[in-house]
Amino acid sequence: MTLPVLICDDSILARKQVRKSLPESFDAEFQTAGNGLEALAVLRNQEIGLVFLDLTMPELDGIGVLEAIKAECIDCFVIVISADIQPEMQKRVMELGALAFVQKPVNEDKINVVLKQYGFI
Amino acid sequence: MNKLGFTEEQRDCLQEIINVAMGLASDKLARFLNTFVHLQVPSIALVGAMHIPAEFENRYQDAEAALISQGFFGNEGVRGEAIVLYKMENAHKISALLGYEPDDVSEIEMLTDISSILTTTFLNGLAAQIENSLSYSAPRILSSRHGNVADVLKNTSFHWEHALKVDISYQLVDHSFNCDMILLIPGEAVTNIKNILDRILEAF
Amino acid sequence: MPHAMLSSPILAALNSGVIVIDDEYNIRYVNSFIERHGNMQLAEVQGSSLFSVFVDLPEAWLKRKLMSVLELKTPAFSSWEQRQYIFKLPHLRPITSSSQFMAQNCSMLPLDAPSGEQPLICILIEDATDAFVYQQHLSRTLIELEKANRQDGLTKIQNRRYWEEQLKQEIHRAQRYKHSLSLILFDLDKFKDLNDKYGHLGGDFVLVELASFISSLLRDSDLFGRYGGEEFGIILPDTGLEGAEEVAERICRAVADYPMLFNQQTIRTTLSIGVATFVPQQHFLHDDLIRCADMALYNAKRSGRNRVCCYQSGETEYHKKAN
Repeated sequence: MTLPVLICDDSILARKQVRKSLPESFDAEFQTAGNGLEALAVLRNQEIGLVFLDLTMPELDGIGVLEAIKAECIDCFVIVISADIQPEMQKRVMELGALAFVQKPVNEDKINVVLKQYGFI
Repeated sequence: MNKLGFTEEQRDCLQEIINVAMGLASDKLARFLNTFVHLQVPSIALVGAMHIPAEFENRYQDAEAALISQGFFGNEGVRGEAIVLYKMENAHKISALLGYEPDDVSEIEMLTDISSILTTTFLNGLAAQIENSLSYSAPRILSSRHGNVADVLKNTSFHWEHALKVDISYQLVDHSFNCDMILLIPGEAVTNIKNILDRILEAF
Repeated sequence: MPHAMLSSPILAALNSGVIVIDDEYNIRYVNSFIERHGNMQLAEVQGSSLFSVFVDLPEAWLKRKLMSVLELKTPAFSSWEQRQYIFKLPHLRPITSSSQFMAQNCSMLPLDAPSGEQPLICILIEDATDAFVYQQHLSRTLIELEKANRQDGLTKIQNRRYWEEQLKQEIHRAQRYKHSLSLILFDLDKFKDLNDKYGHLGGDFVLVELASFISSLLRDSDLFGRYGGEEFGIILPDTGLEGAEEVAERICRAVADYPMLFNQQTIRTTLSIGVATFVPQQHFLHDDLIRCADMALYNAKRSGRNRVCCYQSGETEYHKKAN
């Protein structure tokens, strides 16, 4: 079944990097958002199965998105993508309900490990 | 930002590389300093080096400021001078951060140490993403306390053509302060950087 | 770290020190430069703690710096301008007595270690003694230069320009804090005759001698300067007319009784001295005060020399010669 996926990052390059890191065999339909507000607009109106979420974005950052998802009980899985993987930050993100944390710059190996671990592939 | 003919794609690519470099530096520093650190890069701008003194005059006009410079050298024509500017009122926070006893080390030494750490961790993160590696010269104080920021910047930026102005907001759990970083790069480096960015963009 | 690389001829010939340590601060390698200057053999120190071999190291500071290199994989630096040296290595150049140790620039560089092996740090020590010595000379020269700017070349007391600056400042201070301030101006009586009799060398000798002698009669706070060829001025802060007159009288008598020996001849001279005190309502510029003291000096000359005259307030002209 095709998984609706949302890639959320203010950098076009970063979005491309995520897209490219996903395996060919991954059966998904992709949407993108450039900031937290755009992301929530999509999440509130559509069924999204998996979100790749950047932390540092304008308007509303990754933490803000996670908080909203939690508060509004939006049903989706979130994989956070960030260069900064300090223990404090990881802890905070996991507490807000994220599934996993991948360090930028992303690549195939890093993404595949997570997808496998949580049964997406 | 597009004054030097960077395409929107190249600009986005550069911004992302810099953001990631800052994130990597944040992480490393946090572990080293044993505290929560957040380095944010709200903006970068590419300007002609001659405009630099004017850009900083306002912010540092009435404040005592310290400027620390460090040269960096890499492959493929990636080289330049990194200048970090602080307001002196922030200097004391830094010494506590680095775990120095008040009389242990002179103010100058403390400033050069933290600048070197900030500059090299950031630039190393940058280099890693563009598959380059950098070596560094020892950090030097360009001026502190009594110098005039604009004059010092004039004397320094005179030798370079372009400058990448990076606004760093350095935040800790208990307090935050700002410093600015300027990366001064020679003329031919702009072309080299564009080539590198294009190469990265091509891969995607 | 393959030892073959470490014993390369380059490292042996290098005129800088190379010390490689591991993450427990134990020495893995030192090059010939260190062996020679530090008076040690690699075989003896290999494996020992850096801090037991170099006992004078600032341990806490250095460990912190080395730790940053290990954890962040970034270089650390120390220049001789911050710390003259880290490693106490003797130096053979005749430097000043302030130090006989080498001034150093140190770089601490992370070395790539193959995975599984202990990370290493390379400490590079460059001799910066030349720069250090040059800097010392430069500092001393600048101090001399500054002194020269303020000093009168012959007598070594304050030169006119600097002394007038001081007067302006003292007037400002007197105005601001409502303190008293007085001025003494004097010159040598019949100095031209003295020059003719003993030559210019004799004249110069007298000026130097008197400047020195009179300096010894003054307080630390008094400011003594050469105003003209044989004319001198003394600024007396926190002193009123009476006090200044007393000082002037003392100087006048002392100089009259002061024999100077020049070329086996005894020279005596006398002074004519004018005294004025600062009055805020009358003196607006330092020139005004000088003019008043000058008028008093002129009166002293006119009334017979070798004496002190005080400026009488209200006087605006020089007295004509008494008949």
